[in-house]
Amino acid sequence: MHNDVILVIVVGTALVFDFTNGFHDTANVVATSISTRAMAPRIAVGYAAALNFVGAFISIAVAATIAQDVVEAGAITPTVVFAGLIGAITWNLTTWYYGLPSSSSHALIGGIVGAAFVAAGPDAVLGDGIVGKVLVPAAIAPLLAFIVGAIAIVICYRVAGRQRPGPVARGYRLGQVLSGGLLALAHGTNDAQKTMGVITLALIANGNLAPGSDPPTWVIVSAAAAISLGTYSGGWRIIRTMGTRILKMDPAQGFSAQGAGAAVILASSHFGFPLSTTQVISGGVMGAGAGKRVSAVRWGVAGNIVTAWLLTLPAAAAIGALAYGLTRIFGTGAAGPVVISVLGVVLVAAVFARRSRQQIPAPAASP
Amino acid sequence: MTLATVVDWSALLKTVAGAFVAGVGVTLVFSVAIFAAARFADLSRDGRPVGAAGYVALSAFALAAVAAAVAVGIIVVTTKS
Repeated sequence: MHNDVILVIVVGTALVFDFTNGFHDTANVVATSISTRAMAPRIAVGYAAALNFVGAFISIAVAATIAQDVVEAGAITPTVVFAGLIGAITWNLTTWYYGLPSSSSHALIGGIVGAAFVAAGPDAVLGDGIVGKVLVPAAIAPLLAFIVGAIAIVICYRVAGRQRPGPVARGYRLGQVLSGGLLALAHGTNDAQKTMGVITLALIANGNLAPGSDPPTWVIVSAAAAISLGTYSGGWRIIRTMGTRILKMDPAQGFSAQGAGAAVILASSHFGFPLSTTQVISGGVMGAGAGKRVSAVRWGVAGNIVTAWLLTLPAAAAIGALAYGLTRIFGTGAAGPVVISVLGVVLVAAVFARRSRQQIPAPAASP
Repeated sequence: MTLATVVDWSALLKTVAGAFVAGVGVTLVFSVAIFAAARFADLSRDGRPVGAAGYVALSAFALAAVAAAVAVGIIVVTTKS
């Protein structure tokens, strides 16, 4: 009975993580289309949310990697998965609070690995899978997106750059409807599958599924819905902050960046590589910028990506390990996850309240 | 444990090649479509219908090729590796 309670908490926590993943990543998916006026903000957000939902159904290779190649499924319990999710969410919120770059995907994998390490020892961590399926592809993918984006923008300018600017800009804006849609589709398939993988891992650990099983349909549908709702909700926040954080690009650059990101993420999803979609899209944007003018690129962003890449996995792993230790203080039953969940909700509410107070401008002085 | 043994280099190479061909190839063909559409507009305005017809055909062909490439790409992704 108590295992089922833990499982319900794990599924709920995983879907909350999926929602926040969509919420955070909306900017990456729609910013370029909105910035170049390829699409009106409301349409871009709705379009991205719809294609996020569809994208979650097109492949389960990444979910299989998370469920089978990162940690030893036989050594995992629902409490381990819960602690891993707490590690990922905590790291994401911490980096969000301090404005540090972070990858939700790496945080999730790090959290699960840290909790599994403490719970079942080093044998529970599949080092080969982490290096071969996560670390090496994570290093190559942003670089690949950068190169594809840079070559693509050079092609755009060489082929169509000498024509009248008006029709060319309109053409690439039209192209961005396609490339932006593909990017949203790619984001939906790679990121939603990580949540599917984690829920599948918990279901296997709880004995509801046989080891090596694919995610059940209800898991795919709920993960698709959660990331799609997150994208839609995050979009309204993006619309309100338009003009402050959006990069200035021309339509050809937007098309090149989105096309490069979509191509890399979709190809990686096919082979089951769980990527940081944020880092891949950043690579594409930087490539499209560098292809036009090297000095136009904010190279500090590249430094931030490397820093995030180095920090996120070990930090989330440490927090996941700590979360597992705290949960076990309350025994092996449902009490630990329940207490940690309640504490987590209270902590998150306090953080959001503090953040909101900091953002409210001081009232004007009375005349 | 070495990188040579733990990394599925074949899958990684296919990923790199697939992303490169799709990203660069679709951009090239779509840019040809835009170039041809812009030339069509210019030649039509200048009263050169034969040349304009050639460019509109090229633009339509390039757009069809882009649509086909995207469709094939999605079919490949939905197929288990």
